[in-house]
This record gives sequence, C-alpha cells and structure tokens, in this order.
Amino acid sequence: MALQDFEHDMQRCTRCSYCKWIPYENQQNMDFIKGCPSAARFNFHAYAASGKWNMSYSFLNGRIDYSDAFQDAVYKCLLCGSCDVSCKVIGDLEPLQHMHELRCKFVEDGEILPEHFVTIEGLKKEDNMLLAKKADRGNWAEGIAVKNLSKEKAKVAFRAGCRYSFDQELWPIVRGGLKLLIDAGVDVGIWGSEEVCCGGRAYSIGFAGELTKYAEHNLEALKAAGVETLVTPCADCYQHYKVHYDKIGKKPDVEILHFTEYLHRLIKEGTIKFTKEVPLTVTYHDPCHLGRLAEPWIHWKGKEVKVMGQTICHEPPKKFRRGANGVYDIPREILTSIPGVKLVEMYRTRESAWCCGAGAGVKEAYPDFANWTATERIKEAKSVNAKALVTACGWCRRNFIDAMEAGAEKMEVYDIIELVQKAI
Amino acid sequence: MALTDREYQALEDIVGAENISREPAFLDTYNQCWGHKLVFDQKFSTRPAAVVLPGSTEELQAIAKICNKYRILFKPFSSGFEVVSFALANERGILLDLKRMDRIIEIDVKNMHAVVEPYVNIYRLQREAMKHGVTVGSLGAGPSAGVIAGSCCHFGAGTTMTSTGGLGRNVLGVEWVLPTGDVLTMGTAETGAGWFSADGPGPSLRGVLRGRSGANGGHGIITKASVKLYPWYGPPEVKFSEQPGLPASGKTLGEVPQGYKAFMILLPSTEVMFEALLRIGKAEIASCVMATGPAVLPYGEGNDEQWAEIQKMEAAGMVFEDLAFRSIVVLLGSDTSRGLEYREKYLLEIMRQLEGVSLPLTSQQGAVMFAGLMWHFGFVTMAFRRTGDFFVSPTSDGSPDIMLKMRNAAVELIQPYIDKGLVVNTGKVDLFLIPSENSTAGFHEENVTYYDPWDPDSLQAEREIIQKSEDPNGPFKSFGVPHLGGGLTIETVSHNHQRWGPIYDNYDMWLRQIKDMLDPNSVGDWSAYIPGVFP
Repeated sequence: MALQDFEHDMQRCTRCSYCKWIPYENQQNMDFIKGCPSAARFNFHAYAASGKWNMSYSFLNGRIDYSDAFQDAVYKCLLCGSCDVSCKVIGDLEPLQHMHELRCKFVEDGEILPEHFVTIEGLKKEDNMLLAKKADRGNWAEGIAVKNLSKEKAKVAFRAGCRYSFDQELWPIVRGGLKLLIDAGVDVGIWGSEEVCCGGRAYSIGFAGELTKYAEHNLEALKAAGVETLVTPCADCYQHYKVHYDKIGKKPDVEILHFTEYLHRLIKEGTIKFTKEVPLTVTYHDPCHLGRLAEPWIHWKGKEVKVMGQTICHEPPKKFRRGANGVYDIPREILTSIPGVKLVEMYRTRESAWCCGAGAGVKEAYPDFANWTATERIKEAKSVNAKALVTACGWCRRNFIDAMEAGAEKMEVYDIIELVQKAI
Repeated sequence: MALTDREYQALEDIVGAENISREPAFLDTYNQCWGHKLVFDQKFSTRPAAVVLPGSTEELQAIAKICNKYRILFKPFSSGFEVVSFALANERGILLDLKRMDRIIEIDVKNMHAVVEPYVNIYRLQREAMKHGVTVGSLGAGPSAGVIAGSCCHFGAGTTMTSTGGLGRNVLGVEWVLPTGDVLTMGTAETGAGWFSADGPGPSLRGVLRGRSGANGGHGIITKASVKLYPWYGPPEVKFSEQPGLPASGKTLGEVPQGYKAFMILLPSTEVMFEALLRIGKAEIASCVMATGPAVLPYGEGNDEQWAEIQKMEAAGMVFEDLAFRSIVVLLGSDTSRGLEYREKYLLEIMRQLEGVSLPLTSQQGAVMFAGLMWHFGFVTMAFRRTGDFFVSPTSDGSPDIMLKMRNAAVELIQPYIDKGLVVNTGKVDLFLIPSENSTAGFHEENVTYYDPWDPDSLQAEREIIQKSEDPNGPFKSFGVPHLGGGLTIETVSHNHQRWGPIYDNYDMWLRQIKDMLDPNSVGDWSAYIPGVFP
C-alpha cells in the first residue's frame, strides 16, 4: 500500500490518544500503563501513532514538507506495535502499517538518517545489519560439528540471525541453542558464513526492496537445503520469515518456528529433560517480534461497504491483526517447567508488553533513546521483585545489557536458552 | 500569525527548548481531531503559533504573563480528545499541552477527596482510589478523559451521575492560574486547611470557574483540583480475563465484582422507562442507572464482527430497537450483603409496580455492563468506530417530563434521517439518559447520532439535524441553551451564545463580564467559551 492509501484512516483518527497507553483492559499497576515509548519519552503528540496520522495527512495535503522535526518523530519510533494493539480496541485502523509505509516514503524520497544510510550500505555490501564482515558470520559456531546447509541437506535449519552471529557476548546463547538441538538428535544444519540477513530490519527502516531481495535469496536457500523446518532464536528473523515474507507474497513453504517453539516440542515429547534445579525468581519480557508482531499475516482484498445506514464494514469481512495471537504461552511454559524457576509477571505483558528499545533502527540512530526504553523495562522488572529478566531475543538481550552499562540499575538478564542449559 | 523570535525565545526560556515547538509538522498534530470536518469543514482547525509543554504552576504563570505582555492567545488542554481543546480564535495563539503535569497529589480517604494535576485521567484515579475503598464519578468521554478537564472545564456527564452527579458538581477547590498569570486558590485549600471544600472563606467561585458547561480552557489554567470521592464497594484490585487469543477489546472482568449487582430491566414502554429511572433515583439505591440505549448492541472486535453478531441475533428474533429504548441497566452496590439485599428488594418492588421484567444476564454480560457503567469501557468504541464521528443533539438537563418531551421531539426530528440511512440506523436515535443526583437534579439526556464526516450526504444530514435542534427560534428552544454540542461548541463557528443569549435573559452578557474581569487583555482563548466583546 502507498501512503495515500491510508488517507481514510488519517481522516478517522479521533485523537483519543489510546495509542499512548496500553489498553485500559490490560492496565494493572497505574505506574506502568504507558505503552508507547516514543510518546512517553518525547511528549509531543507527533511522537505517538496519532501524531503520525496527523503529519501524514498534513503532508499529503501539502501543508508540511520534509523537515528534521518530521523525520525525528517518524524515526524515533520503535515500530513495536503497542499503539496498534491499543488503537484497535476502539477503531478499525492500521496505525502500524501506516507508520511503516511513512518510512518507506521517506526512503523513497531520499530522506534517510545518516546512521541508517551507513547501516544499509553495510547490509548491501556484507549482508548483515551490524557493519561486520560477511566472512566472519559463521565464527559463532566454530568447533561445533554440524551440517553445512550450503553443501548438505537437513530437516531442520538453525538460523542465527545477524545479532547472534556477530555479537560475541551473545555467542554462548546461540551456540547453546544449537548444541541443544544436536544433543537432542535433531537433524540440523546451519548456513554459517553463507547465512545472510533476513532483510527485516532494513524493511522496518523503510527499505522495502531489501526485504524482497533477501526473502528471495533465503527462500532459495531453504529449498536448496531441503529443509522442512526453520528454527531461529532471533525474534526479528522469526517475525520477518513468518509474517513479512508472507505479506509481500513470499511465504516460505517450510515450517517457521522460533527456537522456544521448537524447544517446547522437545520438552513436551520428553527429548529434553531437566535434571538440575535453577533456583531463581525470574520475570519474562515478551519480545515485540515474538509477541504482538508475530501474528500471522492476514491477506485481505475487498472494499468498504456501509451497513445499518452508515456503519463502515468490509466486503468480504476484514479480520484485523490485534496482537493477541503472538507467541506468549510457550516461553512461559518452558520457564515454569524448569525446576526451581519461579516466574513472576510484570504489569505490561503479552500484547501490552513494553518494548526493549532496540527495534526499527532506533538502536542504530538513537542509542540514548534505546537505552532509556530498556531502562524503563528494567525498572518494571525490578518492581515485581524478579531476580532476573528473561527474554527470547538477542536484540532485547543486547539492549538490556547496554542500558545497564549506560547506567540502568543492574539485574541478571538471561535468554531462555541459558536457563534451559542450566537445568540440563 | 507566527510569533516573533523574541516572543518565542521568551517562552522557551521558561520551559526549555525540549518543551516547546513551532515546527509545522508538530503544530499540525495539535489541530486535527474528531468533529473538525463537521465544524471547520476540514480535518484541520487553526494551526497554533507554538505548542508548549509546561511542567509546573510557576511555569504556567510565567507563560500567562508573557502572553499578556505580547498579547498572545493561549489555551491549555489535557488529553486533547475534544474539538474544544485545540480551537483557537486566531493564529496568534499557543496551545499548552499539560502532559507533563500528571501527578495524583493526594487521595484523602477520611475526607473523601483527591487532589490531582491536569493530565491525570479518570480511570487512573478510579483505580488508585479503589485501593483505598473509594472511587470517583465517571466521565462519558471514557477512561482517558482528564479529571480536571471533566470536572473544572467541561460539562462532565457520566454514567454514575445518579449517585455522584456530573463531575462538574464534584469540584472541591482548585489552584487556578488566571489569564493574568496570578494564582487563585479556591476554597479551603487557600487557608492551608486542606482541599475539602470549594467554598469559603468568602463567596463561592465555583459558578465563575465553570458555570454549567465549563469555560473549556477559556479563562486560565487549572493546575490542581480536588474532586469528591465516593464509596467503592468492590475489591481493591480488579483484573480482566486473560484468555489466549482474545484481543483486549474482548476482555472482561469475568463477573461483576463482589459488592455490586448488575441488572437489565425491560419495561412496558419508553414512558414507563422514564418513570422507572425517576423512581430508582429517588429511592437512592443505585450506584448507576441509565436507559440501556446503544449498550444493548453486541460489542464485537471490530465493525465486521459486530455486524455479523447483530445479524445473527436479529435472525434469532431479537429486535434491538424494542429492547434499547424501553429498558434500563442498573448497578447496585453496598459494603454489606444486607445493604445489597435491601437495594435489590427495593429495585424489584419498583419493577413490580411498573410491570418491569428483569432480564437474565450471564456473568460475562453482567461484567461487561459493569465495566461500561463504572468506567465507560466500550463507550468510546461505540461512539467512534462505526463511522468515525458522532454528535449529541438535542441534549439538555431538566425534569423527567420535559426530558421525555425532548426525547419524543428528537425522535421525530431525526427518524427521517435514520430511515434514509444518512446516519447509523439502530432503529431509533440513540439515547444517553441518566437521572442526576438521585433524580433531585432531574435527568441528563443526550440524543446521539453517528454520521460519516467524509460522506457528503451523511455530513449534510448531521448539519441539518444540528441546525434544526439548535435553532433558537426552532422547536427545541424551550429545552434550553444547547450548551454541550457534543463538545463541539465553538463560538466562532456556532455563535451559540450570540444567538441564544437574547432569548435566555441575556445570560451571555454576564458571561462576557466574567470573562472581561478575569482576562482584561483577552489572552485566554475564547473560541470554546465567550469573548469579552463579540467581534
């Protein structure tokens, strides 16, 4: 869809400001009811989803042009989808899709942040989002005897993703995950240095063409390796393979699973058994890309129709993605099945989770804002007396660590994989 | 007209560069709101010259003084969910977004009041108060509406009006930055005795502060207000259901909280429904009671789901029109089981006398009704999701007999538009009808239409309805000044005060004198209030 295709929604944004908060139905502790990190941090309405509708409408009407302020509000947004969930409690609008399309328009017209330009140039050259050398991509798996999917076939492909591949501090997680599969007897392989970016983070910045390019490459790679299931510990990759590839008409014909989903299967069928106690009170942070953003894409083509006089409906009926069907229970079930682990919930969970702050190019362009957002989440985790904050995404994990190094209160941060390893 | 660099700098010096903007992209996020197409014939109202985010009373005082010095209009707002929030009489005006002033300062359980800043919304205060066994009246604008906006600056109608009155009747003192920049603390708070009374020492200023429908930011800034609290009979915390895959809009409490009971009662006719509301009010037994109206419709995740549900229910023989306009919903509450029993017995006796039938409710239906009545959950969705806009006209407050007459006249006026499909058709014009203060203050009535502002025929129909119902020489003139207008009373467009003043004792003259006295330089934006002198 082009920006102008959202004009109907722009006109019908009522300015209720629900996009700034988690849904009222989900509010538990009144100290933790804000939903949009951008609006919470920068205050002006422009930073909320409603403000984006307003600016786009003004832009389409020739009232405003590109400016630093416009760009600041558009890109100091994590595209975390919290606004989308809340908006859809009271309206049939698509704020998240719109905000993404607005970024595509910025990119199309050359309005690119210098930090993003550098990152995208790096991607084009080295096929990753971390400005690292492509040749080093497989280093994380050094010493692990595993099939090379560029040369061999396997039933399961283990995809590390850019963050885990190049962030050495996170290597124990991704190595641990792969070893869990190997030890469980799974017929698994990796692409190593031949793995390339999923294209998703570039897409979120507004580079739509990169998603198509990498989707095509990655689908080919899956086919060539004869893979039946793709498993990834990266929540970003998971969402883009599962949701956005489908959105652009390139739905993989293999099963796409987040690592926690596959792990859950192995635990349920008894292949993985816990033998040790992990005495720890933890709270679980729902990664946006595994949670509300991971709902399957819903294709719809039709038209608006009026019923009951003026009520706006759709022909055929249109199902909206409302965030409730993300992967929420599986990570929790894994955690609570680990002996000794006590799970305490934060106040903003599931589709109302507060973002970690790393998404949609914010970490690259506005690291202070990324850290602030993570700091807010750490405060919430502390408030429920959790000893450790557990997540299931490398980007979240990295951002929490960075926030603590930048001054946030310290607490232990784990990936679910690490806790599972401790229990075996 | 833009501010000069010197003027802008003077404001920036007060709040800091990060809390002020004159970027066109930002300014155009402060002039778009529902209702604008109806009022201004476009989504945009006047673009402000700057938007300022003050953080304290002192900053607001300094801003007001700068505005007086340079003759700059200013208008404060909290959530900004009303047309009146942004309308400016001219472009040499600034908007004061009070988002940074969001503290609940005090919940005084013993003296039953709470003191809040402007950006505290009604639901947040309700939930915090509940922890202490108290609550605050509800607001029709929904859970996001500001406590101060509803109580001090706007009409403040809500579903708990029978037991709490409209929020405008609950002000127990304010800290008020007058348009001149001086601070006036109203009531007992001024003496340091606490915020328990808005009156004294000296004459009460509550009428001057807000009158009947509020000054809508037209004469200064309320930086703190104390509002009255009422008993909360439920548990200190409530939690909505967590069913996997269920979107937030479908979540419910599961059941009506202990301490409360919900009823839906069908009466023989609309006329008897009015009588039932009157008697229940007089009996002083209900926490909430109102005509069922549009609340009878299934909620649905979205319009398509709602429409599918409606079709299914109609196919099963349900006639919404019949149910909606001769039935009432009631919430009874008490802190003892005997108290609740007494109230229920009394209610059922009234129903027996009026031949009413209590309709069976599932626990989920009761819970949905409870959240709607107590916190206005679902009201905003119902108002906006179907078409994008709604309007309430005719609307008024008065005795049950007068309100019944207005209702009948409203049905007569609006039905042809409904029949032609120009506004949403749920059988009859929707009704928001509540006995106020246990019926001692009459009834509050709003006749609600939902129109599509971007459909020219629908927009034209709504304009005709308003024109006819708000014509000072038309059939509705005896029901009083159209003081609400769905929050769309913009004097620069409607000229309501100018048109209606001469008919009702020249009341506009007194309003203008108040405005002139409080705001000698006319810097408090008057577009949603009244100017000292009509231009």
